[in-house]
Amino acid sequence: MNATPVMDRLVGRSMKGSVPLGVHFDVTYRCNERCVHCYLDHEDYGELETPEVKNILTQLAAAGTLMLTFSGGEIFLRKDFFELLEFARSLHFDITLKSNALMITAERAVRLRELGVRQIQISIYSAEPEVHDAITKVRGSFARSLQAIRFLKTQGLHVKIACPLMKQNLSGLRRLRILADELSVPYVIDMTVTPKLDGDTSILAMRNSADELVDVIQDASLRGQATPDDAAESVVGSAVSSGIESDAYDGIPCSAGHNTCYISPYGEVYPCVQMPIPAGNLRRESFEQIWHRSPQFARVRAIREDQLPVCAACNLRKYCERCPGLAHMEGGDLTGAYDRACELAEMKARVAGVANPLSAWHAQSRGKALAVRASGRLVQISQHL
Amino acid sequence: MNRETVVLNPRLAWREIQGRVVVISPEDSVVHELNETASFIWKHAERGRNVSEIADLLTTEFRVDAAQAQADTEGLLAVFSQKGLLAN
Repeated sequence: MNATPVMDRLVGRSMKGSVPLGVHFDVTYRCNERCVHCYLDHEDYGELETPEVKNILTQLAAAGTLMLTFSGGEIFLRKDFFELLEFARSLHFDITLKSNALMITAERAVRLRELGVRQIQISIYSAEPEVHDAITKVRGSFARSLQAIRFLKTQGLHVKIACPLMKQNLSGLRRLRILADELSVPYVIDMTVTPKLDGDTSILAMRNSADELVDVIQDASLRGQATPDDAAESVVGSAVSSGIESDAYDGIPCSAGHNTCYISPYGEVYPCVQMPIPAGNLRRESFEQIWHRSPQFARVRAIREDQLPVCAACNLRKYCERCPGLAHMEGGDLTGAYDRACELAEMKARVAGVANPLSAWHAQSRGKALAVRASGRLVQISQHL
Repeated sequence: MNRETVVLNPRLAWREIQGRVVVISPEDSVVHELNETASFIWKHAERGRNVSEIADLLTTEFRVDAAQAQADTEGLLAVFSQKGLLAN
């Protein structure tokens, strides 16, 4: 999808001026669901207090942030959430909320409309209640989330269903699409289960293999629908994964650290929620100091696609949605390759008709394996002699 | 109208980014990018100026005559109104 000319210019200006146009702010990690695939630790280790969050929002507005996503954890577990939301709107932020919606009542839906929230993204894992509830580990959560969607729709709010795909819910994706149609809401899927923020990779076992995802890769309609809301959302997040083509993103892996960043409930600033590289803490430093002067942001901004040691030469790049954050988490190197991206790129290339597609990383790995096997044979031969 | 304070639509999200005001409407997600003159008018409207005051400031800032400034201000405010960017 091409960015609209207005969005393209906005992205361009924010990139040129190093403006943090979009910020993803997790205001809590506490949650009232216990989703099997979640990467967070839900304990509260001292999350930001109300005045601290307001101070950060004031700094973000001064820095030029327009698009603000409040997420968590479950945002409505914060008793001060509506106070924070009201404050954010007084600073003229464009607001997107991410929630499981369990705590959204009819009255709260009215308040969200009154406050001018632009979009609410709600996690729905399946059209089958028992599958959804098994993933969230909260009985009745499917019915409550769906009721909340109806409350929000009644108020004319823009709702989007978000569905991370995993082994537990892949087979029900077509029924989820029908449910989204019935509710008159768009949906998006995410094929990536990410490692936990503490580095634990055990939840990656829930990922579908590239082979299992072939139907999703072949059928674009299964991957969700673009909506008018996406036009304003497109600058936030990965330039690659958003599918938005903007000249301003040419040559860089994604928007992380360039015109977007992530803030944790403890005030840590990261280039992206999927790039857990702490660049500073807002309890000790100003946002301006961290954004403009941290070596971590400088390093992320210096990465260029054509300088990636392995991927730059890969002939599957156009099929690849390599995420530098996942490269860091899964491969230990922001500039490196990692298996998951290669597997999906090879699958997409195969679906597109490329014969025997092989990523540069996999070709290199196989080359090394062959060399090791060959050297092993030489040793055995020498022993025979 | 000249003494009337201009009131921006409070439901809108907006920010000045690199000298241009960008406005997003939550109802339809439409993104409006204001040019230099419109951004100037927007920022002064936000500060509670009325039409005449904004036109006067425009005269000084852009070195245009008073009639031109008045016409430009009224014209742009009419466009703002048409696009739902004003409360009044």
